[in-house]
Amino acid sequence: MRLLKTLAITAAVTAMGGSALAQTTVNMINPLPRSTVFYPLVVGEALGYFEEEGVTVNLLPSDTSIPYVAFVQNGQADLSMLDQNETLSAVLAGANINTVYEVMQNAPEGIAVLADGGATDMGGLKGTAVGLVSDRDRAFLQAAMAAEGHSINDVETVILGESGPVLARAITNGDVSAIAGSVFDWAGLQAAGIELNLITPEDLLAAPANTFAMDASKIEEKREAMEGFMRAWSKGIHVSTLRPDVVEKMLREAVPEEWEDEAAGKSLLEGVIPMNISSTERYGDVQTQVWTDIQPRMIEAGAISGKVDVNTFLNDTYIEAANDFDRDEVAAEVEAWAAENM
Amino acid sequence: MAEATASLGPSASGGLYLRTRRWLTHAAIFGTLILAWEIGTRTELLDPLFYPAPSKIITSFWRIYVTQGNIWKHLYVSIGLVLAGFAAGSILGITLGSLVGLNPLVRRFIKPYVIVLEATPRIAVAPLLIAALGFGAQSKIAIIMLVCFFAPFINTLSGVVNVNEEKLELFKSLGASKMQILKKLVLPEAVPVIMAGERLALTAALSGVLVAEFIQRDQGIGALILTYTRNLNMASAFACIFTLTIIGFAIFKGMELMDRYIAFWSHEDGMTRVSQNRNVRWAKQGWAR
Repeated sequence: MRLLKTLAITAAVTAMGGSALAQTTVNMINPLPRSTVFYPLVVGEALGYFEEEGVTVNLLPSDTSIPYVAFVQNGQADLSMLDQNETLSAVLAGANINTVYEVMQNAPEGIAVLADGGATDMGGLKGTAVGLVSDRDRAFLQAAMAAEGHSINDVETVILGESGPVLARAITNGDVSAIAGSVFDWAGLQAAGIELNLITPEDLLAAPANTFAMDASKIEEKREAMEGFMRAWSKGIHVSTLRPDVVEKMLREAVPEEWEDEAAGKSLLEGVIPMNISSTERYGDVQTQVWTDIQPRMIEAGAISGKVDVNTFLNDTYIEAANDFDRDEVAAEVEAWAAENM
Repeated sequence: MAEATASLGPSASGGLYLRTRRWLTHAAIFGTLILAWEIGTRTELLDPLFYPAPSKIITSFWRIYVTQGNIWKHLYVSIGLVLAGFAAGSILGITLGSLVGLNPLVRRFIKPYVIVLEATPRIAVAPLLIAALGFGAQSKIAIIMLVCFFAPFINTLSGVVNVNEEKLELFKSLGASKMQILKKLVLPEAVPVIMAGERLALTAALSGVLVAEFIQRDQGIGALILTYTRNLNMASAFACIFTLTIIGFAIFKGMELMDRYIAFWSHEDGMTRVSQNRNVRWAKQGWAR
């Protein structure tokens, strides 16, 4: 009888322990595997923030030819990282999605030209070929041309892909006069000694890029996991405001392949930190006014077919919880990690 | 026996000499190419941005395999996927090829679809497969399976259909049953052809895994190559590419070896080996030949 009692208690304790440790998997579709580009994830994992929140992040890094929104809608992904154009186009197409967190509030996208002899403004590209890193960059180029009173039809576009050698060869050989891409694409080129200038119209820089979108009907159902996920992400951002050197060390360990070339790794990290740190008071906050302001020029450029009421898809329901953490505690944890690992 | 050994001696040593000379010639050509590449890069005849010096590639090999060791997890994933996709593609190809080959009715209805499938670019189908099967290994294996299924299918079909007519007539005139024809004539004629298809399928599976990993970039050699090329770290990208070349070569050689054992009757040395083994067995049992 005593043996049975002991076994029953052991089983109960094990079951309770098991449930306490149970982790919810958050499936997130985005363009890259764990990378310096989205360092808050790596930092959050290194400091155990996601685990503390009971969340395991399962990345579904995919080529941009994959329709990300469809995977949110069919339930294969809980979160999707979308840019402004994809978000607005999806909403216009009737997709029931909500933008719940802005990962990068300063667009990493841009138009890069050779520093030596390249165009000085968008008008200088007229009549030339412009390379697109992916199909996603066409809309940005369209908006950039329109911002300075030109049309995308004034240039010829060609998709180059994200391979560094192809981009390098195309721009240095003069096959393309500019590359429409993002800071991640030219960090490698610059580290390899190719000097580039950005001619991106300033109006386009303050635009939300890489936002988290999810199925609107699952906002409540997934609240606990999502709040935990976004809090851990925000803590990851916060760490970079305190100790970028610690972030660098974590990245060196988690993604050594991006740090084999010191210059390229550093250049990339320096480029992406300002992109990842939110410019709003609350990390990841959704900016109603910015989303409203960007639409007329996107319509004018033909990137989207009509205006969208931002209240139909911007949803800050998780933002308060995402920012509900003790900054001092994070600072102490970072110092402790640095003392142990650096 | 002593006589035979004596007579084999000079020719055996002659063979060894020839083999050594052939290997040395290969090594010299290879060495010259590598040296030319190294000099070309150092003198900037070749742009080091795109063609890193072989010495840098060797350093990268050392780093990704030894000091950093980050390639291993990707390598395991990719090889696992290649083998799984190859197995699935082979089973499907051989089964379907046999069914289509042995049954004219099935052939009439299935073959056109298979040919249409072969004409469809796999890379275009890949996103649909991911949508249908979900992210992860299952959809990657399906992509690889599709890439490598056609060679076993067409070779099995060809092997089964193109049986030597005269031999078939002979079997029939001797009253052989369908099963006897299948076992004693069709399979022996088809297996070497099927094995050739398997060789092609396994090397195609390597391309298939790259397609799958270029689209789903979570892990694997394909994902690693993308990371390296995006960062213009061409030495490490080349190290990954050469890793695939070496694996491809090893796979091809491995399949050749397997072919010699499975379809031994289609190789002279295989027949000799089996005859010798039989002689030894028979000699042990006291049967004179």
